[in-house]
Amino acid sequence: MQAFDPLGGQVRATVNPGQGSRSLVEAELVSSVAWLIRLRWLAGLGVLLATWSTGALFGLGAPRLPLYAIGTGILLYNLTFYLIEQRLTRTSAKAEAFRKLSVWQAILDWVAMALLIHFSGGIESPAIFFFIFHIIIVSIFFSARTAAAFAILAAILLSAIALLEYSGLMPHRAIISYLETPLYRNSLYVASVLFFFTSTGLISAYLAASIQERLRQREEEVIHLSESLRRATIRLQTLNDGARVINSTLDLPQVLEGLVKSTAEAMGVRACSIRLLDPEGKKLEPVAVFGLSQAYLDKGPVDGITNPLARRVLSGEVVNIPFAPNSPLLQYPEEARQEGIRSVLSAPLMGKSGPMGILRAYAVEPDRFTAEDEAFLVAIASQGSIAIENAIAYKAIEELDQAKGQFVRMVTHELRSPVSVVHSLLRTLTSGYVGETSDQQMDILQRARRRVEFLQSLIDDLLDLAAGKNEFKRVEPFEPVALAEVVERVVRRYEVLSKEKGLSLEWHQQAPAYEAKVMASQDGLDRIFNNLISNAVKYTRAGGRITVSLSYLAGEAKIEVIDTGIGIPKDAQEHLFEEFYRAPNARALEREGTGLGLTIVRDLVVRFGGSIQVESSLGAGSHFTVKLPLITPS
Amino acid sequence: MSPKKILLIDDDPDLRLALRLPLQAAGYAISEAPSVVEARTAIKEVKPDLIVLDVMMDTTTAGFQLALEIHSADPRSEFKDFHQVPIIMLTAIHSTTPLRFSPDQDYLPVQTFLEKPVDPEVLLGKVKELLGE
Repeated sequence: MQAFDPLGGQVRATVNPGQGSRSLVEAELVSSVAWLIRLRWLAGLGVLLATWSTGALFGLGAPRLPLYAIGTGILLYNLTFYLIEQRLTRTSAKAEAFRKLSVWQAILDWVAMALLIHFSGGIESPAIFFFIFHIIIVSIFFSARTAAAFAILAAILLSAIALLEYSGLMPHRAIISYLETPLYRNSLYVASVLFFFTSTGLISAYLAASIQERLRQREEEVIHLSESLRRATIRLQTLNDGARVINSTLDLPQVLEGLVKSTAEAMGVRACSIRLLDPEGKKLEPVAVFGLSQAYLDKGPVDGITNPLARRVLSGEVVNIPFAPNSPLLQYPEEARQEGIRSVLSAPLMGKSGPMGILRAYAVEPDRFTAEDEAFLVAIASQGSIAIENAIAYKAIEELDQAKGQFVRMVTHELRSPVSVVHSLLRTLTSGYVGETSDQQMDILQRARRRVEFLQSLIDDLLDLAAGKNEFKRVEPFEPVALAEVVERVVRRYEVLSKEKGLSLEWHQQAPAYEAKVMASQDGLDRIFNNLISNAVKYTRAGGRITVSLSYLAGEAKIEVIDTGIGIPKDAQEHLFEEFYRAPNARALEREGTGLGLTIVRDLVVRFGGSIQVESSLGAGSHFTVKLPLITPS
Repeated sequence: MSPKKILLIDDDPDLRLALRLPLQAAGYAISEAPSVVEARTAIKEVKPDLIVLDVMMDTTTAGFQLALEIHSADPRSEFKDFHQVPIIMLTAIHSTTPLRFSPDQDYLPVQTFLEKPVDPEVLLGKVKELLGE
C-alpha cells in the first residue's frame, strides 16, 4: 500500500491535544472517515428510495430485488464501518488505522457501484455518473496517484460489465426496456461511453487531487508560518524576561546565570554556556552554565589562543557546528558525543576593548541551528556583553570601595590608639590628679585637649563610615526597634542643652495605630537622630525653635527635624551628604566639625531601607525629613 | 587599713600612666604588668583587689582570654584564688567595629567596660563601685 501516501511531506503540528500528536492531514483524514460514513447512510437510503420510486412511479422494467439488496448491503457495510470508526475514535487509534479503514470503504464502494451499475442497466445505467463523485471523494482522501488508480479501477469495472453484457457472457438488465435497439449492444455507444467515462474519471481525479494538493500546501505553509511565529513569540518573551533579570542586577554571577538560562530557553535547546577569557586573555573559563553535566565541564582547559573554534569566535565570527562529534573544530569531540551534544553554535561576547568570551548554545539534534538562530544568538551576545561589562565594572568599583573602607579602618584604628592615650593623659592633668597647674598652663592644656577631642571624634566618625561600608551588617544585626522610644530618648538628651542655649525644643508624636517598629539597630537609629538634633541645636541661635515630629504614612514613618537656624545655602545643599563636606556658614559658626555626621546619617538611613531629604533656606532654617519603612503587623 | 591593690595590665606604658595617676591620687596601691605573661605572675604576687585589663594586647583577644581564665570556676585553675576579683576591661574598640562586647551579656567574664580615652572621673567612679566603697 505504498502508493497510498496522503501524509506525504506534511508538517507535524498538534491539532487536537486529546488525540495525541497528529498532523493536520492526519486529523483531516480521521474526520473525513466519519463524514464519509454519514454520507453513505444517505447513499444507501437513496438507492432504496430510487429503486422504489422508479418502479412505483415509472414502472421501469429492471428487476428491483437486486437493487434493494444493493441498497441494504450498502447500509449494512456502512454500519460495520460506523462501528469500527467509533471504536477507533474511542481508543484514539493511530491515523494509519483510519487510513486503512478509508481504503476499505473505497474498495467496497467500488464493488457496490459496479453491482449497482450492472443491475441498473450496465452501460445504459444512469448511475454511471455516480462513479465520478466517488472518484472526486477518493481524490480528496488520497494522493493523486491513488486517485488515478481508483479512477482506472472504475473504468476497468465499467468496461468489464459493458463487455461481458455486450458479448452475452453476462445477462443485461435493462431498465429502459422500450428502446428499440438496446444500447448495450451498440458498439459505438459502448466505446464512446467507456472512453468518456474513463477520461472524465481520470481528469476528475487529476483535478480534484491537484486542488487538494494545493490546499494542503497552503495549509502546511500556514502551519509552518504560525509555528515560526509562535517560536518567535516565545523567543521574544523569554528574551524579554531574561533581559529584565539581567538588567535588574549588577551582580555578575546573576547576570551570567540569567543570560545562559534565558538563551537556552528562548532557543529551545538543551544547554547554553558562557566562557570568559581570563585576565591574561589566554584561557577561557566557564563562568555560567545551563544544562550541561559537571563531567562535561571538567573535560579540560579551553585555550583561547590554540583552540581553533575559540580563535575564530573570539575574532568576532559566529560559528555553527552542525555535526559536533565529527567536527575538527571541537577540542573535545568525544566528550561532546558522550554528553549527547550534536550541534553547537558559538557567538562572541565582544567588550569595548575587544573579545571577552564566548556565548554558546548546545543542541541534541544534529544540524539544529538555522541562520535565524545565528542572528538571534549574536543579538543576545551583544546585549549580554553590555550587561557583563557593566557588572564587571560595578564589581571592580565595589571591590575598590571595600578596599578603601578597609584601608580607612586600618589607618584610623592605628590613629585612634595613640590619640586616645594622649587624650587620657591630658585628662589626668586637666582633672588635677597630678597637682596644681597655673592658669596659663591649664589654658594651654584645655586647648590641647579640645583639639585632641576633635581629632578623636573625627577618627570615630571615620571608623563608623568605614565600618558602614562593608561590615556593619555583620556587626549589628537589625531587629524590630520601637522608633518613637528612640527619637524621644534623643530629644530628651538635648533638653537641658537647648534650655541653656535659649532654644525651645518641641517634640510631637502622632499616636500610631499599632506599635510602630522599624527594622534597624538601636545604635544606628540613635546616631541618626542624635546627629540631626545636635546639628539643629548647634546651628540655631538663641531664641530659635527646634521641632521634632514623628508621623506615620502608608507603611512608613516620617521623622522631621525642623529648626529656625542659620539654614544651608542653596549650592551647599547638594553636597551636604558628601564625606567631609561642611557648608561655609556652618564652618564660620562652628570651627570644628568633621563633615562626616550627615554622611553617616545618610548611610544609616539607606541601610535601614529609608530615605532622607533636606529643605532649607539661608537664614530661615532647615527641615530634615527621614522616612523609614515600618514593619507591617502580621 | 592598707590601701586596696589595683593591678593595671596594659602593654601601653603611656596609658598605664594615665590610669595610674588618678588612681594613685585617690589613694590606691597600683601595680603594673605590661603583658599577659607578666600579668600571670603579677596576679599571684600582688593578689590585687581589682584588675584593669586591656582587651587588645598581643592579639585582639588576649585580654579577653586572660579574663576568662581569671574568672574560671574550675578549681584546678591557676587563678582559682582570684576568680572573685573584679575586672574592668579597657576597650579601644569603637562601637561599630566587629569586635564588640557589652557587659550585659551573661557569659562575659568581666564586671564592666571602660572605653578609651579614659576619663579619670569615670574610671574612679567604676573602681569605687566595684570595690564597694
